Amino acid sequence: MRADAEYVMRVVEERGVRFVRLWFVDVVGSLKSLAVPASELEPALLEGVGLDGSAIEARARGSERDVYAWPDPSSFQVLPWAEGPRVARMCCDLRMPDGSPFAGDSRQALCRVLDQAAELGLTLQVGCELEFFLFDESQDPGRPPVPLDNGGYFDLTVQDVVSDFGRRAIEHLEAVGIPVTASHHEVAPSQHEIHLKHTDPLAMADAITTFRIVVKEIARDLGLFATFMPKPLNGLSGSGMHLHLSLYEGERNVFFDEDGSTPGRRGGQFLAGLLAHATEMAAVSNQWVNSYKRLAAGMEAPTHVNWSREGSGALVRVPTGRPGQADTARIELRSPDAAANPYLLFALVLAAGLRGIERGYQLAPEAAGDEGAAALPGDLGEATELFDGSELARDTLGDTLCDWYVANKRSEWDAYRATVTDFDRERYLRWL
Amino acid sequence: MADAWIYSREPTRGSQMAASVAELGFTPRLIEANGSLRPDDADGAARRPPDLAVVIGDEEICGRLRDDAVFADVPILLSVRPEDLDGEVPMSEELLVPPFTPAELEVRIGRARRQLGGAEEAQTVRVGSLVVDLATYQVTVGGEPIDFAFKEYELLRFLVTHPGRVFSREALLNRVWGYDYYGGARTVDVHVRRLRAKLGAEHANRIRTVRGVGYRFDR
Repeated sequence: MRADAEYVMRVVEERGVRFVRLWFVDVVGSLKSLAVPASELEPALLEGVGLDGSAIEARARGSERDVYAWPDPSSFQVLPWAEGPRVARMCCDLRMPDGSPFAGDSRQALCRVLDQAAELGLTLQVGCELEFFLFDESQDPGRPPVPLDNGGYFDLTVQDVVSDFGRRAIEHLEAVGIPVTASHHEVAPSQHEIHLKHTDPLAMADAITTFRIVVKEIARDLGLFATFMPKPLNGLSGSGMHLHLSLYEGERNVFFDEDGSTPGRRGGQFLAGLLAHATEMAAVSNQWVNSYKRLAAGMEAPTHVNWSREGSGALVRVPTGRPGQADTARIELRSPDAAANPYLLFALVLAAGLRGIERGYQLAPEAAGDEGAAALPGDLGEATELFDGSELARDTLGDTLCDWYVANKRSEWDAYRATVTDFDRERYLRWL
Repeated sequence: MADAWIYSREPTRGSQMAASVAELGFTPRLIEANGSLRPDDADGAARRPPDLAVVIGDEEICGRLRDDAVFADVPILLSVRPEDLDGEVPMSEELLVPPFTPAELEVRIGRARRQLGGAEEAQTVRVGSLVVDLATYQVTVGGEPIDFAFKEYELLRFLVTHPGRVFSREALLNRVWGYDYYGGARTVDVHVRRLRAKLGAEHANRIRTVRGVGYRFDR
């Protein structure tokens, strides 16, 4: 048994862990979990645990197929928030019965791109700002949620609840190995933002998946619910997943040239790759019908493919470099929303950037405005067709993942198109 | 089989020392002090650090072994001739002054091993309210258990068993990860942040950032 697996076995015994949850995600990034009792942990570590792989296809489920979840012992972590029996979690890779990678596994798709980057001597570091809304659990689910902190009726207790939430969130996140830099109230009422400190893309994707469940658990304990829905309220900002990307070649930050210029020559090519493929990636960075309501409304969410050093409306922001501060040089991708599948997103972001470097893409001039810039897709239908035809997506993720993803997104878009919404009734019912 | 690497510029003294350590059950390897700390033909057996390093009269080699994290757990003996004992001998190394008996050599090796911190024998490291149990992997602060992921624990274990020494990020990556992980040397920074966050205010500052060099654990 590997040293990390032995560590897991010993800690489970010493800490009296009763169950270990094996975590993996389906194609849209929803967390799936299998609970293994401590007594069954050793065979799970040595042989994996069988499951019905059609669960990975999300809502476009096909026929049943055998897949094995192989726990990654390095991701073992005792969960701090579970009441009752002590519980731990491990993230899993999905494999076929013969041990080969399962083509529908988002996590391994990311690992493949990380390997490609490593072969080029490049490593990506990702920092992340995640936004979400907190609402009162007891509100009528049939009505639009009322923001906690301008509802009036709640005035005396709301500050206590919200500050209690922030304190617990930071404690729990740090206890599961997710250091945070800041937690603050966002622009919209009831909206919060937590900054996750930069790390490698695989660890960050695991962290975001963990983060979403931690935040939901804490909110539930306080009689609240947390949502990562991209745009829950009319007229208020949506919830983004801003990514701060740094690329290193050995110790050198590629986004910083020696003369202090950013994003640097090769960093510029990486950025050009991101921009060139941004519209094809939109179905992943913004994967829900609702995602496009965040993008359509502006409010600091990008609508066009552009980059800028100043302002906050561009797709990519490049903070101005300072001589001697190579370590802080980075680019900020601002389109993804808080409900993306981070594994697929990071795989495509890195693959697009690498393609820019490998093929020597030229970076377009900086432009804060939208004039002359290509528009991001206006809705999920358009985004899905662009993704379906994307050579980059198929090269990076493989046909199986792409086809399942497209099937999910087409089905969602078709269901939406066939739905009569509040908008239709409010506008047309009496008028027409 | 325990390996002993012997660093010598003088082949005769090197061979004599090889014979002496062989009597104690070590497999000796002579390394010409030509700049490399490792045997030239670094085959599979030699890639692993040795169980003992004996340096004949060359203090500079001692210093380099001390600075190389690969040798962090290797007891080091410095052999110095009586006529070279001039007050400039480094105080940090266990000294061996010929002539010596096999029994004395064995005692000196035992003392050099204990100088590494003695933690391996004690199985528990205590630093204020921080307790790291090396046998059970359990870490507590003020009696409260703290749960670490495997590499976080391995990094903490390495740092607390090598207090007061500065390790570069590459050295820590090499020692704790043993291969080039996705995150490169920045993985070390990330794990140090996680350790500090989990250890809490009282102990976070014990993991000192030595600017431009790396990290040091202060007891």
